[in-house]
Amino acid sequence: MTPLIELRDVTKTFSGGVLGRERKVALERFSFTIDPDRPRVTAVVGESGSGKTTLARLLLGLIQPTEGQVRFNGRALPALSAAGRRDFRHHVQAIFQDPYEVYNPFYRVDHVLATPVRKFRLARSKAAGHALIEDALRAVGLQPEEILGRFPHQLSGGQRQRIMVARALLLRPRLIVADEPVSMVDASLRATILGSLRKLHEELGISILYITHDLATAYQVADSILVLYRAAVAEAGDVEPVVKAPQHPYTQLLIGSIPRVSTVRDWATEQPRAERDVSATGCKFADRCPSAMPRCLTATPPLFQTAPNRAAACFLYADAPALPAGQVATVLMSA
Amino acid sequence: MDAPPPPTPGTNGAVLRVDGLRVAYDHARGAVHAVDDVSFSLRPHERFGLAGESGSGKSTMALAILRMIKPPGRIEGGEVWLEDISLSQLAPEAMRRLRLAGIAMVPQGSMNSLNPVLRIRDQIGDALADHGGKLARRELAARVGSLLGQVGLAPEMGGKYPHELSGGMKQRACIAIAICLRPKVIIADEPTSALDVVVQRQVMQTLGRVQADLGAAVILVGHDMGLMAQFVDRLGIMYAGRLVEVAPIHDIIAAPRHPYTRLLIDSLPSLEHKGGLRGIPGLAPLLRDLPPGCAFHPRCPAAEARCRVEKPAVRPMGPGATVACHLA
Repeated sequence: MTPLIELRDVTKTFSGGVLGRERKVALERFSFTIDPDRPRVTAVVGESGSGKTTLARLLLGLIQPTEGQVRFNGRALPALSAAGRRDFRHHVQAIFQDPYEVYNPFYRVDHVLATPVRKFRLARSKAAGHALIEDALRAVGLQPEEILGRFPHQLSGGQRQRIMVARALLLRPRLIVADEPVSMVDASLRATILGSLRKLHEELGISILYITHDLATAYQVADSILVLYRAAVAEAGDVEPVVKAPQHPYTQLLIGSIPRVSTVRDWATEQPRAERDVSATGCKFADRCPSAMPRCLTATPPLFQTAPNRAAACFLYADAPALPAGQVATVLMSA
Repeated sequence: MDAPPPPTPGTNGAVLRVDGLRVAYDHARGAVHAVDDVSFSLRPHERFGLAGESGSGKSTMALAILRMIKPPGRIEGGEVWLEDISLSQLAPEAMRRLRLAGIAMVPQGSMNSLNPVLRIRDQIGDALADHGGKLARRELAARVGSLLGQVGLAPEMGGKYPHELSGGMKQRACIAIAICLRPKVIIADEPTSALDVVVQRQVMQTLGRVQADLGAAVILVGHDMGLMAQFVDRLGIMYAGRLVEVAPIHDIIAAPRHPYTRLLIDSLPSLEHKGGLRGIPGLAPLLRDLPPGCAFHPRCPAAEARCRVEKPAVRPMGPGATVACHLA
């Protein structure tokens, strides 16, 4: 089966500093596939700088990998034919973090909805196109008469973000890459937007890659989860066990750091940070890891498959079989 | 402007008392109130949270306490006391001196509040110089070093520019500036909203520690009920410019009295069970177009007939607690 989208051993480095001499690895030897026949909602979580937005931009073809390939329907993105590229633009859609920046302030919001209808010939007539747009708006909980004809500044952030979901819905893509779609939206609206994304998945079989720093919404929305730490996968698998019983010490730290709405104050203890010398080849988390062992300081742990649908890149699980490089997707597909 | 009732002098042991504060913004169709008759007081050492959705007036409230509302906004009435000083009576210069020295602010988005072309130590030095006279070079270095140490930054961070620091470090630097004159009250406006959870926890712990060392009170402005539950002693909930509920944190989390508080708590996604993704129905009202009666009634699952016509008064509900709801 040809994957819809495949990242094959992708590394992305950015250069910076004077004369570009500082190199920063944003994503390191990352492989991942999205199976067109088994649509899933996959969350990608990590702190800023972990590589999650780089992953989104690679998947969308907005940046090119330094090494490795991003493939769509079996072909590398730069090698796509005109028709292939058009297909890619149709079937891989994006929802970005900032619902203010994606709109051209000089156009009415109708523009972002009417353009794809026209470009991808989604409707036979103007009236049919209009009906399609109205249906899409209603499907995400908006009243077309309150939205159409308005300029972006006349709408709230939540409304604008829901229009982007409606736009994705119009196109019926195979994959939506949603990069922090609710981090700038109030809690009260977060649920509506994430709920409509989830609905797109359930009703239309659209795969969703939900990129976020918020583990709690990831848990609510996703089937499986990838935890990134400094450009590589720390832990991956079904969302339920990963969140309830995290295996990688980084995931444990992440989940333990979430302040909970509880009358129990269990948040206040700070772990003293160990000062260790970790070599460049050591585990990236070893300098802050409470369970670091001597080998962690010198060797990079591969992903160990600790259960059929889980893996952790940590030597604590070295008894489990190591996943062949690039096979992280196998633990993200449940039967 | 209504003449405010003559305020009772002093604050009855409170370090800060806000009494009937009103902030108005003039609008073509009349003034709207971003802060509408808000009263509360802060005990010494207390951590007080102010939570609500965007537009609820919580940040405006913080600015109004510091008399930093800019036109077209204006403080329309009410009184703020810092111990026995009435802030509204202060001359502008005295008010300016009191900021930072008496009440300091850790602003939202540390990234943008530091001067990008000044080293951290010079920004701290500026603050000290502006309020206490210039220090000798050695003295200043020692002072900056100890302040940085208090917020968990290495002394050499003083020589760095803001862009050389991570988000968490910048927020610590902002805390160092805020505490440099040992204020009695620290107002932190969403101090960690741009930070990752791990760094957020570290920064909040730092804030908590320096606050305890200083014996200062803290007002934490934010929307994350989890952060409030874990950090503050008492929580105030703002809705459409009004303080609709105040209660000790344990009580308000365990048994919120206002339906809006309940919904805010429930809207935080759970890590315990799936299907816990609940929003708050409807939208926050426009201040220039507030519904009659209780401003929350169109979104309230428990609203009754009287809620649609009669604005609920703020009623005391035991020590340190108030509520503005007909049903509570």
